[in-house]
Amino acid sequence: MTAMFELWNLTAAVPGEAGAVRLVEDVSLQVQTGETLAIVGESGSGKTVTFTSALGLLPKPGRVIAGQALLEGEDLLRLSLEELRRRRGARIGMVFQDPLTGLNPVFRIGDQIIEVLRAHLPISRAEARERAIALLARVQIPDPARRVDDYPHQFSGGMRQRVLIAMAIALGPRVLIADEPTTALDVTVQAQVLDLLTDLREADGMAMVLITHDLGVVARQADRVAVMYAGRVVETGTVDEVFRAPRHPYTISLFRSIPDMESPAGAKLAPISGAPPDPARRPAGCAFAPRCFAMREDAGCLRERPDLTADQHAVACHRAGLLEVAP
Amino acid sequence: MTAITEAEEALEDNAARKRATLRQYLRHPGFMIGAIGIGLLVLVALFAPWIAPHSPTRTDLMNTLAQPSATYWLGTDQFGRCVLSRLIHGAQVSLQVGFYVVLISLSAGTLLGAIAGYAGGFVERALVAIIDIMLAFPSFLLALALVAARGNTLDSIILAVAIAYTPRVAAVMRSVVLTIRPRPFIEASRAIGLSTWKILIRHVIPNALPPVIVVATVSAATAILAEAGLSFLGLGVQPPTPTWGNVIAEGQTAITTNPLISLSAGLCIAFTVIVLNLLGDGLRDTLDPQMRRNTGKLL
Repeated sequence: MTAMFELWNLTAAVPGEAGAVRLVEDVSLQVQTGETLAIVGESGSGKTVTFTSALGLLPKPGRVIAGQALLEGEDLLRLSLEELRRRRGARIGMVFQDPLTGLNPVFRIGDQIIEVLRAHLPISRAEARERAIALLARVQIPDPARRVDDYPHQFSGGMRQRVLIAMAIALGPRVLIADEPTTALDVTVQAQVLDLLTDLREADGMAMVLITHDLGVVARQADRVAVMYAGRVVETGTVDEVFRAPRHPYTISLFRSIPDMESPAGAKLAPISGAPPDPARRPAGCAFAPRCFAMREDAGCLRERPDLTADQHAVACHRAGLLEVAP
Repeated sequence: MTAITEAEEALEDNAARKRATLRQYLRHPGFMIGAIGIGLLVLVALFAPWIAPHSPTRTDLMNTLAQPSATYWLGTDQFGRCVLSRLIHGAQVSLQVGFYVVLISLSAGTLLGAIAGYAGGFVERALVAIIDIMLAFPSFLLALALVAARGNTLDSIILAVAIAYTPRVAAVMRSVVLTIRPRPFIEASRAIGLSTWKILIRHVIPNALPPVIVVATVSAATAILAEAGLSFLGLGVQPPTPTWGNVIAEGQTAITTNPLISLSAGLCIAFTVIVLNLLGDGLRDTLDPQMRRNTGKLL
């Protein structure tokens, strides 16, 4: 089965004092219709940059220097700006992190949805308004016929995120990228928004990419997961595989640093010591080596960058096969 | 049935909101004084031919440099023309200059500033350089040069002053747009596939307008001053057309015996500038409550 959205060897960089600084490097990911791929990693690991650069939204002076971003087999990075603009919103939608500022404060909710519809479809204002109300109903905004004329400040954070989701799915995109869609929301609202996203994905047969740093969200919502560290994918597989038997020392450390209901009271968490490397000064070998519990000089950890293995549950670690660690 | 009542309620909500906004304006003393002052000036200018007791250009050579009397409330100038009538008609020129200068410099400046702020990169650097050069150039001198080149009709004065004021609006606009460009709803608009022009016109400019409108109100005042200055120097609208600047200039020759001529015209200019500034302050406080300051405010 061919993937709906595929990234192949995507590398994006910003110019630095000593040559290009690579923000993401050699990222390859695939998402299929009806599937949710979760991207996890700490802040600055390149989760967001990967997808903004695939959509041509990377802020200047950043740019993609290598790789492909295939949407239904068509490389987005080879399209003209105008062709790319027509794909955005229509074929591929994106929901951003901060719903509180994601809507233009000076226009009514309805007008903003109408604008999206009319930017892509030759329909009248009245028709677009009907569809806007239907969309608000789909994302479970109560009383949509009335709320359509409200301003963003009259909506709560969770409702605004629903509006943004409505705008992202307005044209029935094949792929929906949700970039930490619940980070700014209350815990109780988070689950509702995530369930809504999953329902919509199932109903519309979309492929979904869910960017998050919450492993609990991954376990509940995703089918497959890719773990990113320092601009690279270090481990990828089905959620089952990765959660049952993580293979990369970074993934293993991530699981160890999460509080567990079962652990005895007063037990200490195991944080990962140190900080992720500055993209301009990444170590020569494996980027995780300085913080890695399994690092061994004789395994080449400090000299050579490990490649992602080719298996279904892939990992980029020199010592992966030698580790026997239960999470 | 329920749908109708809901729609009606929504309409009522909106009406209530509008009433609340209106109350905010009405409660601001500076805004009210400014608005009433401007309103009066506009009425005077519109109905000048009916309000003015005499023709502004008719000379009464038997009564030159007359002191104030029942016939000539503010006296007459050296050609025996009614000073009050000349001031009333002069309001037409001043308000036209203020209005058109703001119209032109606000539109052009908004567009230029928004493009500069939003485009970034080379386009921004080039536009900012042009704006800076125009800002550094004394605007009065620029207006003088343009009037000299194009002849001193009302059109060229308006154009000259508008060109001089466009970079000020553009500079403010650009700095506001710089704060709007990184906001998430702009990124969201791009992700949704809106074109750059649409984002600029629908999302960037409306959010940037409040401070620019305030600048525009104040530029209306300075534009009126600039026109009066040009007229005073004899480079403005040519006599015998009455303008406040002309009246001051003509009254100058008789300033020792009839100081009221120049003084009353000067007061007209001062009044207009003050009410426009009060209006600008009021707009600033109401449009952008976060910018409200208590320093340097008249009311």
